[in-house]
Amino acid sequence: MTERIRVLLADEQSLFREAVRAVLQSEADLDVIAEARDGVQAVAEAKRVQPDVAVLDANLPNCDGIRATKLITESLESCRVLVLGVDGDIRQMVEALEAGARGFLTKEIPLAELIEAARSLFRGETLIPPGMLGPLLAHLINRHREEEEARRRVSRLTKREREVLALLASGGDNDTIAQRLVISPETARTHVQNVLGKLGVHSRLEAAAFVLQTGMMADLVEANA
Amino acid sequence: MTSEVRQRRPVRREGVWLRATAEENAVFDPATGGLHLLNETARAIWELCDGATTTAEMVEAICSVTGLPRDVVTEDVERTLTEFERLGILRWEE
Repeated sequence: MTERIRVLLADEQSLFREAVRAVLQSEADLDVIAEARDGVQAVAEAKRVQPDVAVLDANLPNCDGIRATKLITESLESCRVLVLGVDGDIRQMVEALEAGARGFLTKEIPLAELIEAARSLFRGETLIPPGMLGPLLAHLINRHREEEEARRRVSRLTKREREVLALLASGGDNDTIAQRLVISPETARTHVQNVLGKLGVHSRLEAAAFVLQTGMMADLVEANA
Repeated sequence: MTSEVRQRRPVRREGVWLRATAEENAVFDPATGGLHLLNETARAIWELCDGATTTAEMVEAICSVTGLPRDVVTEDVERTLTEFERLGILRWEE
């Protein structure tokens, strides 16, 4: 007897869940062992039944499908998550894959494809909708370039300036920075001006956004440790 | 792949266009009348042949999405680009 693939289904719409369940259950090698109507329930059910494959709607209520994917894949290494999202939404697809999903498909796909998708994921394959692989790769390459550029700019900063940037990105004003670094407010102000100049930004807000958008905060904290 | 090759940037030859339908992907070269079918990965590589993206960046991105070993992806990318070059639909920016 062949091994049955144990599937968890999570979608807010009971009609959708019932339709998908009926189709999957009609396959000899697929077994829907649990259902969930929101993200919190999906994570709890996944931990309880430990499915081979979890099919999650990206827009689940109470903890969306992306967050639920992250929680599931962090606690269940063997569970492969398939996120059902919006057609052409590259950002959502990137978020799903970075959260640990092994596949991203749109709800526009025929149910027959969902059956094959569950099998593919179980075999360890990665699933991307037709035509979305190129834009996905381009997005990743662009982001990698932006991160490299951000690192290049931050590498121009002295250790002290990195400390200032970390405090600035956390919302610190000159007085706060001065207190934390045990320097005068005037010196803090000079450091801030130097940081802005070296980063090529025009305001504290822009500098803070630069740190947050490029994910540099962890690097700054680590460098300052 | 040598570091020199990794930093080369393939670029689609002008006038060659991609025809993508739900059933198939193909590039059409009006200059020769050639129609070449592509699988999804080859299509993605074709779309990245913009003269700015290096082969190393292509390999890195595909590895991060698929989790496949770097040497396998490198071989696939090189084979695909070599085939595009053989078909005359690709040139290289240094």
